[in-house]
Amino acid sequence: MHASPFFLSDVAGFLGGYYAFIAAMNGVFAFLLWRKYGQPGWAITWSAFAGGMMVLASLALSGAPSLVPALPDSVRTVVNALSGPVLYSLGTMALFTVLFIFRKFFVQPMVAWTILNAALVLMGLSMADQNFAAIVMKPDNVPIVGLVFLLAFFTWVATKQAVVNDERIARGEPPMEKVNDEKVLVWPDLVYTELICMVAVTAFLLLWAICLPAPLEEPASSVKTPNPSKAPWYFLGLQEMLVYFDPWYAGVVLPSLVVFGLMAMPYLDFNKQGNGYYSIAERKFAYLTYQFGFLVLWITLIILGTFLRGPNWNFYGPFEYWTPYKVEVLNNVDLNQMFWVQWLDMPLPRAATDAPWYSQLGHILLREAPGLALLGLYLVALPPLLAVTIFRGMFAKMGFIRYLIMSNLMLLMLSLPLKMVLRWTMNLRYIVSIPEISLNF
Amino acid sequence: MADKKKMSVAEILAAARAADGAGEKPAAAEAAPAPEQPVAEKPSEAAPKAAPKASKPAASSEGGRPSVAEILAMARAKKAAGGEAEAAKPAAKAAPKPAPAARAAAKPAAAAATAGKKGVQRDTASILAAARAAAKPGPVSKAEAPSRPAAKPKPKAAAPKAPPRPVPPKPTRPQPAVKKAAEEDRRGFLQIATGSFLAVGFTALSVAGGLFTLGLARFFFPNVLAEPPSKFKVGFKDGFPSGKVETKYVAQYGVWVVNGDFQGEQQIYALKTVCTHLGCTPSWLEAEQKFKCPCHGSGFYKDGINFEGPAPRPLERYAIRIADDGQLEVDKSRTFQEELGQWADPQSYVSV
Repeated sequence: MHASPFFLSDVAGFLGGYYAFIAAMNGVFAFLLWRKYGQPGWAITWSAFAGGMMVLASLALSGAPSLVPALPDSVRTVVNALSGPVLYSLGTMALFTVLFIFRKFFVQPMVAWTILNAALVLMGLSMADQNFAAIVMKPDNVPIVGLVFLLAFFTWVATKQAVVNDERIARGEPPMEKVNDEKVLVWPDLVYTELICMVAVTAFLLLWAICLPAPLEEPASSVKTPNPSKAPWYFLGLQEMLVYFDPWYAGVVLPSLVVFGLMAMPYLDFNKQGNGYYSIAERKFAYLTYQFGFLVLWITLIILGTFLRGPNWNFYGPFEYWTPYKVEVLNNVDLNQMFWVQWLDMPLPRAATDAPWYSQLGHILLREAPGLALLGLYLVALPPLLAVTIFRGMFAKMGFIRYLIMSNLMLLMLSLPLKMVLRWTMNLRYIVSIPEISLNF
Repeated sequence: MADKKKMSVAEILAAARAADGAGEKPAAAEAAPAPEQPVAEKPSEAAPKAAPKASKPAASSEGGRPSVAEILAMARAKKAAGGEAEAAKPAAKAAPKPAPAARAAAKPAAAAATAGKKGVQRDTASILAAARAAAKPGPVSKAEAPSRPAAKPKPKAAAPKAPPRPVPPKPTRPQPAVKKAAEEDRRGFLQIATGSFLAVGFTALSVAGGLFTLGLARFFFPNVLAEPPSKFKVGFKDGFPSGKVETKYVAQYGVWVVNGDFQGEQQIYALKTVCTHLGCTPSWLEAEQKFKCPCHGSGFYKDGINFEGPAPRPLERYAIRIADDGQLEVDKSRTFQEELGQWADPQSYVSV
């Protein structure tokens, strides 16, 4: 696309080292499989893969545009065309579901290793694209790349332990954590580990700071907003939420609810199982709720905000050029407009400008009646409905108050993805829109 | 008093005891020495230099007690012997009888003593007498027993002299009060002193804090105001052809001057460059004919009406008018919001 020979020769050195690193990693892995775990078959497979990586490394180091391994243009075009907020969000939700359902398959070390290598190779191939590299290799965004891999690794470790424990419990054995829990090795095992980690992390951070200096920009100005203007990476999920809500809700209420909801968790949890060991089968509801809120509603939104939101906060595909002139046709409409104008084909109820305040208020309430009714149904009518249907057992165990708190926290959390879906599918801006008093939902 | 000092303690005590023995009240005697004119020859001889006090017991010896003369004689003898300290005790012991007598007469004396306790001026004799009366009740012989009743009338007899008596207690009573106050002052000094230190400290602190706040507030009013004036001229109407969005005032003033169509009417208006969602500065996209915010993607039409993204209301207008010289003048001190129906205000636009 916008690839230039200068770019390729610049990135070729990095890619050569990158592929060589993957090759070395797999070589060590194959060696361990062969000598330590006695799996010569797998060892041969992975050493062959390492050889392939060495070939890629040498191709990349050539620096020739025709030789540097890259994704074909057609693939990039298709990916760009397909990607959008809808597909991204639905895709992450689908991925989350698949990973959860088939967790026993994915926790196998060979599967995980394969996925890791596939991801690394795909990233290497994508890196030959200038647009992709410009975003991913930006010093600001490098930590997010690290976050993706680190988070995947830790989630995998925890899931693996949980799966092992679940199998043991199913067989009537105690979970791994309860087998040898009489003593914990602290000195020198833990302390030395911590010391070594401390030194290693410090050295790593020093190197990082030297190699990827923090990007400095021009002095700030109140009339000049950088385009795109991005929050710190850990707030990008929040910034993405703000696209769908009024600031008071997405910037104040929802973050506070996240904090208070996390604090309320121990008091809402009635499940005595799974205490002190990893387990998914014994705590399905808690596990799914938390992972959905954390992985899908927070982490993937950070990734979306970092890599896929460009100038004017438009959505850009991974290989798309970030131009501020991208034309994106959008026409968001409030629910009152939809209801009164589009469906009933009549003007919005609006009081005369000189009408007394109660007339104004009455007209506003009438105008927002559909939105208020919807909101009321969602927050007031839905909890009891859920209590007699899918949450029947939980309602019996939790009691009225705890159930109400839980269900409302849950509904407010789900209001985010619901609103996102409504925005994409119906171009809905606000369900309740009272700009007269800056109250929009 | 000065004379008394010249006497030794022992002598005084002896005299006092002698006086008591005579059933005379020393305090009364002290209080009013003058009325005691009938002075016995012996006592007067015996204790002229001893004490005026000593003379009174003598005067009161009209009670006809033999012991008085004896005691005085003894005292004199003792004094003659020159054994001051030694004499005192023997004298005291030698006259056990007067001691009870003193006790017998103690009631008024005690009153005086208590008054003395409260009072400042306590003469040694009364203190000693009181102490002894309390510490050494002593036996009372049958012979002396009648002296008690005899002694009681005496105070009564002395009662006529009472008018002068109450006088001294009066000054003494205020004195204790004064003294208490003095004591409180002395004790409270630390409190007052430390308290006042605290008060001084906190006063200084609040003064300093107030000055600091004032100084801080001063920073909000710099000597040189770098801000551009809120009223500024943007040129004549001719400079804004139909459909034009003038962006050259954004950097300095934060204003777009637009010649656009609003609800079928061609107007020139000044839009504030602040997004109504979270306050970023949108950019004017000529190709798409819209204002687009880079922070959350809000979009506004050329007339400022919000149509995409999360912005909940249209951009705001500044006041605009045609100045006296015919130029357009934007006034940033006044804004007009569409959702409040303020765009109908003729000050919010200039008709073309």
